[in-house]
Amino acid sequence: MTILSEPPLAAVHIYGEPRLLAGVTEAGPVDLRRHRELHGELPLRRRSWLSAALTDVNLRGRGGADFPVAVKFDAMPSGSRVSILVNGSEGEPASRKDRVLMSRAPHLVLDGAVVVAHSLGTRRITIVVHDSAAHDTLVHALRERRDPCKITITHAQHGFVGGEIRAVINGVNGASPVPGGRRVLPVSRGVAGQPTFASNVETFAHIALLAARGTAGFARVGSTEEPGTTLVTLIGDVRHPGVAEVPTGVPLSAFFDASGDGTVLIGGYHGTWVDSTDGLVLTRARLKSSGAPFNAGVIARPFGGTCVVDEIVEVSRWLAGESIGQCGPCLFGLPAIADDLAHVAARGGAEALQTLSRHLDVVSGRGACAHPDGSVQFVRSALNAYDHHIREHALSGACGRTPSTVLPLPRRIR
Amino acid sequence: MSKLEIDWTRCDAHGLCARLLPEKITLDEWGFPLIEGRGLDESIIRDARRAALACPALALRVAR
Repeated sequence: MTILSEPPLAAVHIYGEPRLLAGVTEAGPVDLRRHRELHGELPLRRRSWLSAALTDVNLRGRGGADFPVAVKFDAMPSGSRVSILVNGSEGEPASRKDRVLMSRAPHLVLDGAVVVAHSLGTRRITIVVHDSAAHDTLVHALRERRDPCKITITHAQHGFVGGEIRAVINGVNGASPVPGGRRVLPVSRGVAGQPTFASNVETFAHIALLAARGTAGFARVGSTEEPGTTLVTLIGDVRHPGVAEVPTGVPLSAFFDASGDGTVLIGGYHGTWVDSTDGLVLTRARLKSSGAPFNAGVIARPFGGTCVVDEIVEVSRWLAGESIGQCGPCLFGLPAIADDLAHVAARGGAEALQTLSRHLDVVSGRGACAHPDGSVQFVRSALNAYDHHIREHALSGACGRTPSTVLPLPRRIR
Repeated sequence: MSKLEIDWTRCDAHGLCARLLPEKITLDEWGFPLIEGRGLDESIIRDARRAALACPALALRVAR
């Protein structure tokens, strides 16, 4: 186990064998020479090889949507006109994993993008990053390399919804960085209107590892159904706050001390509060079937005996503010939900709870992107997990417990 | 089965759809459509097409 603290970046912790974060130290990013020592030469592969390998290891997109990478890859045409888009926006405010990866292991991300580009017969790669330090690290890393590709690194700042892949593509194409109303997938029309293989930075880093190690080497750690490792951002009452690399298949209890409160938020601010992590195991499929999808890999655990109600109200208010205002149910519904929740918290009574519940139902399933549904999931699961506690607030007002301060919120961008 | 689809980025809560197709569409408290079950029976497809054509924002459509 390695513990590094590296403010202002999140602390890094490694469970088991380091892969994505191999060689990472406090001194700075892994440079090209060290990267090649650790991972070998650029592992260029043919399209058919990569397709089979992606299928064999069941790689899933790591931005949150959990889509099978092989399906996306197989849907791409080949040729010099297609594009590769690396999404490093990390719009999820509680997540730090993508920033840590780009700032500490930039060459793994770049290798992954070049591997995909080569296999599809294109040289066009665009990387979109919100964080300045991560952007600078990638630019510096790129200068160390001689890639047979045209790699553009774009610095953009677009908030939570602006990190959604279709919004990112619109931004790259010079349009407003918002998701479109029709579901046009990047594989049919993306960067410059051309078919685009778009995924999260962590996905590309895993593709680099897979290409370098082959299926068997990649699958040597982790669960059988989703082998390999995953990055997770751990917040609050956890053994090692910060970003961790962990083999898939570990029980979530590995992240916590036995004492303390059982209630945990899984999957960030579009995620799910659960009142117990007993029996929960870290694979994407199993968390999804437990009703708490991993999303972008954030796990937050408030400290025992604290009151998280005000924080939930604050996050709900923030989510409402992040609506880009394209879709009515989100534009009007999310502020109504935040108001309802604040009302409930301040002794609004059973009636306030009913209004809140009605608004959650009304907003659900109505919007062009995942923002309204994700926000509803966050609030509704909090109402379930903190049922007694929230009722106490609704009926008697403040509970007298120390307010929780574990859920981070960014300064408003835009 | 044909179904009703709304492009939420276009819908401006004009509310004509709810008047032309009250069997399927009601409005929420902000005037945006709530669809009762997206599938459309044969008997109602003509009315649904009419409602879609009448939408001033071109936000409603009948999809197969």
